[in-house]
Amino acid sequence: MPGALDGIKVLEVTQIIAGPMCGVMLSDMGADVIKIESAAGDGMRLLGQFAPGESKGFHVFNRGKRGMVLNLQDADGLAVVHRLIPEMDVFLINARPGVPERLGIDYESLRNVNPNLIYLENTAYGPTGPSAHRAGADIIAQAYSGLMAGDEKVDEHGGPDLITATTPADFVAAFTSAIAICAALFHRERTGEGQKIDTSLLAGALVLQNAFTSRLPVSDAIMLDPILNGLAAVRERGGSYRELLGARGGLRALVGGAFFLYYGGYQTSDGALMLGCVTPPNRQQVREALGLQPGDDPTDDGDFNALAPGSEEIVARVRAQIAERFASDTTENWIAKLDAAGAPASQVNIPEEMIDDPQVQALGIMVDLEHPLTGPERMVGPPFNMSATPPQAEGASPPLDGDTDEVLIEYGYSAEEIAALRSSGAIGVPSDS
Amino acid sequence: MPGPLDGIKVLELTQIIAGPMCGVMLSDLGADVVKVESPAGDGTRVIGQFMPHESKAFHVFNRGKRGMVLNLQTDDGRKVLHRLIRDFDVFLINARPGVPQRLGVDYESLRSFNDRLIYLSNTAFGPEGPSAGRAGADIIAQAYSGLMVGDEKVDEQGNPVLITATTPADIGASWTSAVAVCAALFHRERTGRGQLIETSLLGAALTLQNFASARLPVSDATFLQPSLDAVQQVREQGGTYLELLEARTGTRSTIGAAYLLYYGGYQTSDGAIMLGCLTPQNRQQVRNALGLTEAEDPTDMEQFNPLDDGSAAIVDAVRERISLRFRSDTTANWVAKLDASGAPASQVNIPEDMVDDPQVQAIGAIAELEHPLTGPERMVGPVYRMSDSPPKATGPSPIFDGDTDDILREHGYSEEEISALRDAGAVGDSATA
Repeated sequence: MPGALDGIKVLEVTQIIAGPMCGVMLSDMGADVIKIESAAGDGMRLLGQFAPGESKGFHVFNRGKRGMVLNLQDADGLAVVHRLIPEMDVFLINARPGVPERLGIDYESLRNVNPNLIYLENTAYGPTGPSAHRAGADIIAQAYSGLMAGDEKVDEHGGPDLITATTPADFVAAFTSAIAICAALFHRERTGEGQKIDTSLLAGALVLQNAFTSRLPVSDAIMLDPILNGLAAVRERGGSYRELLGARGGLRALVGGAFFLYYGGYQTSDGALMLGCVTPPNRQQVREALGLQPGDDPTDDGDFNALAPGSEEIVARVRAQIAERFASDTTENWIAKLDAAGAPASQVNIPEEMIDDPQVQALGIMVDLEHPLTGPERMVGPPFNMSATPPQAEGASPPLDGDTDEVLIEYGYSAEEIAALRSSGAIGVPSDS
Repeated sequence: MPGPLDGIKVLELTQIIAGPMCGVMLSDLGADVVKVESPAGDGTRVIGQFMPHESKAFHVFNRGKRGMVLNLQTDDGRKVLHRLIRDFDVFLINARPGVPQRLGVDYESLRSFNDRLIYLSNTAFGPEGPSAGRAGADIIAQAYSGLMVGDEKVDEQGNPVLITATTPADIGASWTSAVAVCAALFHRERTGRGQLIETSLLGAALTLQNFASARLPVSDATFLQPSLDAVQQVREQGGTYLELLEARTGTRSTIGAAYLLYYGGYQTSDGAIMLGCLTPQNRQQVRNALGLTEAEDPTDMEQFNPLDDGSAAIVDAVRERISLRFRSDTTANWVAKLDASGAPASQVNIPEDMVDDPQVQAIGAIAELEHPLTGPERMVGPVYRMSDSPPKATGPSPIFDGDTDDILREHGYSEEEISALRDAGAVGDSATA
């Protein structure tokens, strides 16, 4: 069965993660995605490079695409884009504001050639504003947006430490871009009109923490204002980053000490496990599995007030009891008991080992691909199923300059034209480099 | 200008974050979203509750929707849903596999009333597999998927600590859901056919770390295998969670330490700063701004090999030099210098401060809303622009049971029918019945 975007043609001038990952999602849904690189290649090809121009990061963020090399600084190279664009439905670019204009591939230039084009521009800080032209990267958006402070990590020297589990701002920008493109395709189908879409790492990072970044004065008066005052006090006396985080951490302690008893991790006799209880019935299931008596944990009793003096000590005492019980048996045994009780609990897995996990296998999330240069590889495929238009991983990432000629032939270039473009350096990687 | 999903009707039976946030994104795009709650209400209404049924998180994850209360445990309540669904385009549900069947709201049941329906089911572990029936939550998906290990946080006792900046699996699932729903609408517009979409917290969490979870044997032999072996050894010795984390990252550090010199955080004289350099050019811009000579930092010179003996000591010495310089001046001065040099750098902001940030204001990411019960509020709105069909935050979250009668009237129910349904406890907050 063809994917939902079957027949849709996408041209991308993107690199690193945010733009490329959007291209992967469109490819998974059946779009034909052509990636344009400069002769130097997407910078991701060099991060963890294990063969010339090939890295694991590039493979993951560019599977299912065809690749061509164009020199956009060269008038003939730019002319190739302008000749391809009338056949394209979607154009993706991630670059600093102003760069598309300088290269002649901004929205106005390309819509002149194709008025129905859906043009997506992703930037770090958004298209306008005092920081619009600053250099960006996922880690910068993490720091600027508050995500990094929200994760509360500090290195051994007291410096801020990034979220290492993922590149959250890049990914979210990729997801946001894919939603907007699918919605724009739907809109074009109903009205015939293309449009320009702007996304940014900053804005995406803000959505990820929308519960923290929002203001609701009636609620904030109790829950947030004391924290903001604490932050201001630390700043006034010139306190360190760690002190600032400490002042903010009071936010969770104030309302959440008891909540985090059953929403957090404990060590077991052979490792660790994680509890994810958000309701009183779930918490009671854990207490029963642990053998805690009604008097042992009063934190869900109707008369327990988290804000009352002495309640912090009660929470600490309960935590010690829970920790002691979990330390008495293996992760596997506790998970079995908690599963049987119906409470949300999990072992804490290692990302690099998920490829062989039986649940992941059962869902068919991992796909096996064959790269023409580097052989077999397995990676995360589309994370959702669609019954009528199943998404699927279309193939491996393209070698640098791998499909330039094929794409040009498909779009009506003759062998002579292609040879001329190659010798003038408008397309392809110069042979002396 | 209407949004791209103008006229699309969405019925959601969701709670907490993953499902509700997908509804917000569809609402931003112009869809009319009706949220169905049980008489107990969405569980988020009581997390951080500041007045009956109202919490900040509920407001954030349900803005722009209308709300109704149906008791699907009653035949009459179920019949209401079956009557309404004929007029809807999209149905969203997040529940454990089997629950929709029990409530009579599974795909087969609903498509028998509306064969063009786009039905989205989000679960924790996916629709099948050994863990499909287990209880789930964002924190559980963080632990199970490896995201939590990837973030490398432990508390003072050595217990695993969750990613606190955001709920990555929940919000990731919202995004994949919204992408798939928009693609399915496009597909339906072209073919007339609806379909079943299945997403999961696990699938979303794996996508967020597709780089870490991928396997590429030729690359892994050098870069990954030592880490996998070290993890295995700790397990065989029955080591702790902390030892496991150290084994996983310790083997990477010799390769990555030089890279992290300019991709990470430092303290300044009055706070902290974050660098985000991915290229040698960017790193040189930072060295120039700091006044570091080649002799003081040889890590980008060709003769430097991170795998040589003694390289770790060189990197440590460079880090010390960089730390010292950053500590000699304020964050604002360093950011200004680095901006001028073109290197990616940022202050480390606090999430709660972001609503008033000038860049955030400039890109219009914050929506100002007025809630009928709790007054004015500001929160993250749609974070992308579309030139021809702009997304917008359409309003605040619904009051509990606030729109039940209006929605029933809209779908042809008479006043008599509505009051009979209320009396029977099939619709509405049973406490008021």
